[in-house]
Amino acid sequence: MLEPRMLFVKDVEVEREGNRILRGISMQVHPGEICGVLGRNGAGKSSLAYAIMGLPQYAPKKGRIWFDGEDITEWGVTQRARAGITLAWQHPARYEGIPVRDYLKLSNPSAREEDLAEALNLVQMEPFYLDRMVDKGLSGGERKRIELSSIYLMKPRLAILDEPDSGVDLLALGEVMGLFKVLASGGSSVLIITHREDVAAACDRSYLMCAGKMILEGSAEAVKRYFLSQCEPCVEQKPENTGEAASNHA
Amino acid sequence: MHSVTEEYKTLVSIAERTGGQPGSFGAEDAIYVVVHANRILASHALPGVRIEAAETADGIDARITVQAGTEVSRPVHLCFGHLAASGRQVIRSRIFLEERAKAVFQAHCIFPNAIEFLHAMEGEIHLAPQSAFSYREVHVHGPEGRIEVRPVSRVRIDENAVYRGDFTLVEGRVGNLAIDIDVEAHGRRSRVEVTSKVYGKYDDFCQVRDIVRLTGAESSALIKARVVLKDRSEGKFLGLVDGAAPGARGHVDCTEVVQGEARAVASPVVQASHPEAEVTHEAAIGRIADDKIQGLMAKGLSADDAIDFVVSGLLR
Repeated sequence: MLEPRMLFVKDVEVEREGNRILRGISMQVHPGEICGVLGRNGAGKSSLAYAIMGLPQYAPKKGRIWFDGEDITEWGVTQRARAGITLAWQHPARYEGIPVRDYLKLSNPSAREEDLAEALNLVQMEPFYLDRMVDKGLSGGERKRIELSSIYLMKPRLAILDEPDSGVDLLALGEVMGLFKVLASGGSSVLIITHREDVAAACDRSYLMCAGKMILEGSAEAVKRYFLSQCEPCVEQKPENTGEAASNHA
Repeated sequence: MHSVTEEYKTLVSIAERTGGQPGSFGAEDAIYVVVHANRILASHALPGVRIEAAETADGIDARITVQAGTEVSRPVHLCFGHLAASGRQVIRSRIFLEERAKAVFQAHCIFPNAIEFLHAMEGEIHLAPQSAFSYREVHVHGPEGRIEVRPVSRVRIDENAVYRGDFTLVEGRVGNLAIDIDVEAHGRRSRVEVTSKVYGKYDDFCQVRDIVRLTGAESSALIKARVVLKDRSEGKFLGLVDGAAPGARGHVDCTEVVQGEARAVASPVVQASHPEAEVTHEAAIGRIADDKIQGLMAKGLSADDAIDFVVSGLLR
């Protein structure tokens, strides 16, 4: 019996400035699952996240994207967000003059002060941050953690977390990784985009991306092992299964 | 046609919602003036503050004096408005702070229904030595129409006195706006800060002209403008600081953000008429970056709401 699919990406191709940056990507995320996309810098992982979120610059030239059985390929960012998809950006934007409190309330306008404090606490931040501005006064790591808090408050059906650990110090890293499980236990599916095998290891299942292609799918452990082996043997040349991981490369 | 009570209640409720505090008007310990068209609906002063106001054909003439040594603890609220769709209102004011007086004035200019309207504020402000004056002018206009707004201020600042002026449009369309502020920091060590924040939409036209002459030794000035333009609106900013005395220091900081087909011109002018003066400037015209807008859209905001949210921060 097939597992129900919340997100289904089929044969997606994306071009930017004449370059094919996603080449026939197919993947899926199941309800309540923590799914990883692992790959080296430049593999196309963030581009995949942007294509799923619906950024017009990353509109598929070929292929389709379904969410909850609906073809959302032509939907814009807002419509996808209102359907329950959201994205925590690798480098979240700064907003001059906007207090953290107002920013977090965008994700959940009915959130009370204690809800906002709880969301910050999940990523090891004190409530005084609510009065700080979401601007250049925050470090990259602080800004990143605030973004993750806002995702928690939004309670999305699918949270795409693009390099969720980037800029986060080691002391807070545990909390950030714990947030994946908190989100999943709250009913969200989580898609983690990462170049770090230890972050991918926190997933239930992983994909491996290389040069715009999805080259492997399997348990997080198996994908991690293959990634750590410097991707030897290269599935580009030998597209057979590697342990319990299955090549997804056609 | 509105009754006087209705006019008073409407103007005051909008003023309190958009920057005033509850109790800014009507309380025994508050200082305020409420004017609808050319009628003075209410006026209240306290010891140390003298308000003399007279109705004219199209507005009022007012002279407000804060007497020597008086420190006004709560903001003085001046509410000027009109509930009609068309007409004109001209407010002429002379504000004088005597030596060591300190006060914060908040003017609420409220025209929620204006379509064809002229609103002019012609202010003369004189700050005696060691006085400190903050003047914030908040405008509330209707969602449509061609209101013309002409805030004009001439300010003279004596020794060790401080002037802070802040013009903000908080609600509605700009219409056709021409801010014209001219300040002479005449006294030694006098200080000036002038801030203008405007959000133009549709075919609004905004012109900001802020000029500060630093003629007092060691006087200083900061001119700051935040102008956001979208749709087909146009904006022009001229900020000029003239360092005309030894040790005078000034800075002009203008940021204009344009979206859609909006057009902006920014001219920060720094002039050092005295060799020992130092004046600097920065100006930027840009768009709101896509990642800012898309970041908010990924939380479910429409593109327009995302832009408004970003702008609300820029103008805060």
